Amino acid sequence: MSGPLDGIRILEIGDRAEAAGLLLAAAGADVIRVEPTEGSRGRRVGPFVADKPGQERSLHHAYFNANKRGITLDPSTGDGLTIWRRLLERADVVLDGTAPGSLDKVNAGHESFKAMHDGGKLVWCCITPFGLTGPWKDWAVTDLTQIALGGPMMSTGYDDHEIPPIRPDGEHSIWMGGEFGAIGVLAALYERETSGLGQLVDVSIHESISCTVEGAFPNWEYASRLVQRQTGRHSSPARTAPWQYMASDGNYINLMGGGIPRARGNWTDLIKWLEEFGAAEDLAEDKYQQAIHSDPMQATQERARISEVLGKFVQSRPAEEVYRRGQGLHLPYSVIRRPEQNLDDPHWIARGFFGEVDIPDFGKARIPIAPYMLEATPNSVRRRAPLLGEHNFEVFNGELGLDTNQLVAIAGAGSI
Amino acid sequence: MADGKRPLEGIRVVDFSWIVAGPQCTRIMADLGADVIRVENESYLDSMRNGMQVYPDRPSLNGSGMFNNMSRNKRGVTANVWHPGGREMVERLISKADAVLENFSAGAFERMGFGMEKLRELNPNLIYISISGFGHQGIDTTYITWGPTAQAVSGSTFMSGLPDMPPAGWGYSYLDHTAGYYGAIALLQALYHRKRTGEGQYVDVAQVETGMMMGGVAMLDYQVNGREYTRIGNHSRWPAVAPHSVYRCDGWSEGRDRWIAIACETDAQWQALCKVLGADDLASDPLFATNLGRVQQQDSMDARINEYTKGWDTRELMYVLQANDVPAGTAQNQEDKMERDPQHRARNHFAVAEHPYVGAHRFEGLPLHLSRTDWQLRHGAPGFGEHTEEIMTELLGYTQDEVTALKAEVAV
Repeated sequence: MSGPLDGIRILEIGDRAEAAGLLLAAAGADVIRVEPTEGSRGRRVGPFVADKPGQERSLHHAYFNANKRGITLDPSTGDGLTIWRRLLERADVVLDGTAPGSLDKVNAGHESFKAMHDGGKLVWCCITPFGLTGPWKDWAVTDLTQIALGGPMMSTGYDDHEIPPIRPDGEHSIWMGGEFGAIGVLAALYERETSGLGQLVDVSIHESISCTVEGAFPNWEYASRLVQRQTGRHSSPARTAPWQYMASDGNYINLMGGGIPRARGNWTDLIKWLEEFGAAEDLAEDKYQQAIHSDPMQATQERARISEVLGKFVQSRPAEEVYRRGQGLHLPYSVIRRPEQNLDDPHWIARGFFGEVDIPDFGKARIPIAPYMLEATPNSVRRRAPLLGEHNFEVFNGELGLDTNQLVAIAGAGSI
Repeated sequence: MADGKRPLEGIRVVDFSWIVAGPQCTRIMADLGADVIRVENESYLDSMRNGMQVYPDRPSLNGSGMFNNMSRNKRGVTANVWHPGGREMVERLISKADAVLENFSAGAFERMGFGMEKLRELNPNLIYISISGFGHQGIDTTYITWGPTAQAVSGSTFMSGLPDMPPAGWGYSYLDHTAGYYGAIALLQALYHRKRTGEGQYVDVAQVETGMMMGGVAMLDYQVNGREYTRIGNHSRWPAVAPHSVYRCDGWSEGRDRWIAIACETDAQWQALCKVLGADDLASDPLFATNLGRVQQQDSMDARINEYTKGWDTRELMYVLQANDVPAGTAQNQEDKMERDPQHRARNHFAVAEHPYVGAHRFEGLPLHLSRTDWQLRHGAPGFGEHTEEIMTELLGYTQDEVTALKAEVAV
C-alpha cells in the first residue's frame, strides 16, 4: 500500500522545518532535505553514536530526517541558485525553516519565486520563530526562549516558586511549529486540487506555542486570573492536591484526579485490591463510597482521606504494577515512563508504531513512525536519514540531467 | 491576495467529540473552512460546557469560556441516538458527511451503533477518524486516559523537570492538544487521498503515541548507546551550551514571580550578556571563558548570573539583550501574552468574535496564515442545539412539522 502523499515532492531547507518534513515524509512524500555544504546544524547536535561527534553520527539527525533524501546546495552561489530554481520548478512544496528573508537576500526565497511565478502551483511554507511579520520577527531564539515567551513555561514547574519555571525537554517548539507546518501544507495541497494554485503558508512558532496552553487562556480572558505552576500536575489559579507519587521501585506514578474512581463498580474493586495488601485502612466505610459521587472540584474531608490512603498504597507497590492493575479496573492510573521504556511495550509493537532504520556505524534501531494508523494509506518508515550529499548525483544528474563534468565543476566552486 | 475562500470550504465533518482532544482537531478544521457540525446529547454531555463559566452566578450550557474557545466556528445539533427518530436524523447527517470524528473511549461509538460497517453502509466513501488514548487497535485499547495519563506513559512527563527532583511534567493536558493537532494532520491526509481517489478510510489516532513521537531521540540514545534518559531542567544537553537557564527578575523579594530565559550559544553572546549585565567579574573569569568551562561550572555560574538579573525588569532586560543579539525571552504569563506582547498584537493573534450568550471575546488564533485562502474567525461556539432546526430543514430534508414532532419527543 502507498502513503497518502505519494508523488508529492517536497524541498526542505533550514533547520526549523525538520519535524514538519519528518511527518510529511512518513506520509509518503518525497522529501529532499537541502543542506549547506558543511551539513545541517542537526548533524552537530548529539547524542552521537558511541558519543563520538561526526557528520554521520548524530542520532538527532538520524531521527528527524528518516524517510528523507539529502542533497547539499548553496543557493547563494550562481550555480547553486540556478539548480535551486530548477528544483523549485519540479517541486510541489517548499518547507522553509530558514530565518525570515534570508533566502530572499540571495534571490532564492518565496518573494523572488513569486515575482517570477505568481499564480504557480508551488506551496511555500515558512516555519519561523515569530512568523514573517511583526516587530519580533528577527529576534534571536532557542527552544528555551520560545517556550518561555509562548507561555507553557509559566504553567510548568514545581509547587515551590523559588524554583524557576521549567521548559520540558524535547524541542517542543520545533514540534509545535512542525505540526502546524504539516497542517498548513496539507490544507494548501487539498485546496490546490480544486484551484490548481499554490500559496504561501506563514507558520509562527511563537503562536503555535502560545495557542497550546489550555486553561491559562480562558482563565485570563474570562476571569482575569493567572494560573500557578504545581509539581507534576495541572497549573491552576488556586492550589490543588497532589497527583504524583513515587512507587516502591523509585519510579513515579500519576493518579489522575487523586485516583478517586467515579463509578461504584470501580470503587468496590479498588477496595478489594487494597485489602489484598492490607492497605484499605478505613476506606470500606460507607461514607467514602458516598464521597466518590461528590463533585471532584469540591475538596471534602472524605476525598482528601481517600487520596491519602491511595497515595500511601501506591507508594508501597512497583509503578508498572499500579499502572496495569489500576487500568485493569478502568481507573486512569499511569506509570511515568522514560521515553525508551515504551520500546518493549507489546501494545505499541502490536500497533506497528515503531519502524526500523539503519544507523551508520551501529546497525538497526527503532523509531516512532507516526501517531496515527490510516487504514488505506498507511504512514511508514522506508529509508534511513540521508548521509551528507548522499543523493546529489541521483537528483542533480538523474533528475535534473546535469552531467558529471558540470557537477564536478559546480562542486569545485562550493555550490554543492 | 486572500480571495475570501478558505482551504477546506465544502468539507463537512460530523463531530461527536468532547473534552479537548477531539474538539481541538475539529477547531482546526472549522478554522480552515470546513462545516463542522457537533452532535451533542445530554447523555454524553461535553463537560467543557459546564466548565469555566463566564457568568458564575447564572451557569449555562452556553456560558463556558473554555467551550467557546475550543468550539468556535462550528455549528451544533442535539440528537438522541437511542430514539429511533434521533438516530434517523444522525444517520442522514452521516450520509451527508465527508468525515465523522469521535474521541470516546475505544468501543463506545460502536456500542452507540456506529461501527465501521454501519458507517460504510450509510456512506461508502466516508472517512471515520477516532482519537483515543491508546488507539482502537492493539492490546491495551480499554485503558482510560486523560491528558496527564497519556503524558505519563509516553515519556513527556518524565522529560520535564530538574534531575534531583520529581518530574515536573506539563502544567496542563499538553497531549490533549497535540492529539488534536495530529488528528488534524491525519484527517487532512485522508481527505487529500479521498480528493485524489474518492476512497474513504478509517483513521485511528492514539494520543499516547503523539507524546512518544517527541521522545524519538531518547529512544535512539538508549538503543545505540545504552543510555537511559535523565532530566536536565532548563539546561541544554544536546548541544551542550551554557548559559542556558531561567533567571530571576525584578521584585523577587516581594514574591512576584518574574523570570527570563537566556541561552548563549556562542562566546560572543556570552560576552554580550556580561556586558549588558555589567558583570565584568563574569566576563573576565577564566573559568567561564569557553563554552566547555561554562557548561562544567553551570550551577555556580547560574547563581552568579541570578545576582545580576534579579535587579532587572524582565521585559527591559529581554529588549536590551535582543538588541545585542542574545537569545532571551521573558517567561510570559497569559497577561503578558494578551496585554503586552507586541508580536501577538501586530499579527492579531487574539482576535475578537461574537458569541450570543457570552458576548464579544478574544480567541486563540490558528498559528498560521495562508496567502490566498486564509483561515477565518467567524463566530463563537454553537449554543447547545443551536443549529438543530436549521440543519434538519436545510441539509437533511425535514419539514418544519417533522422537526417540531421530533423535538416534542425529545429525539432531537
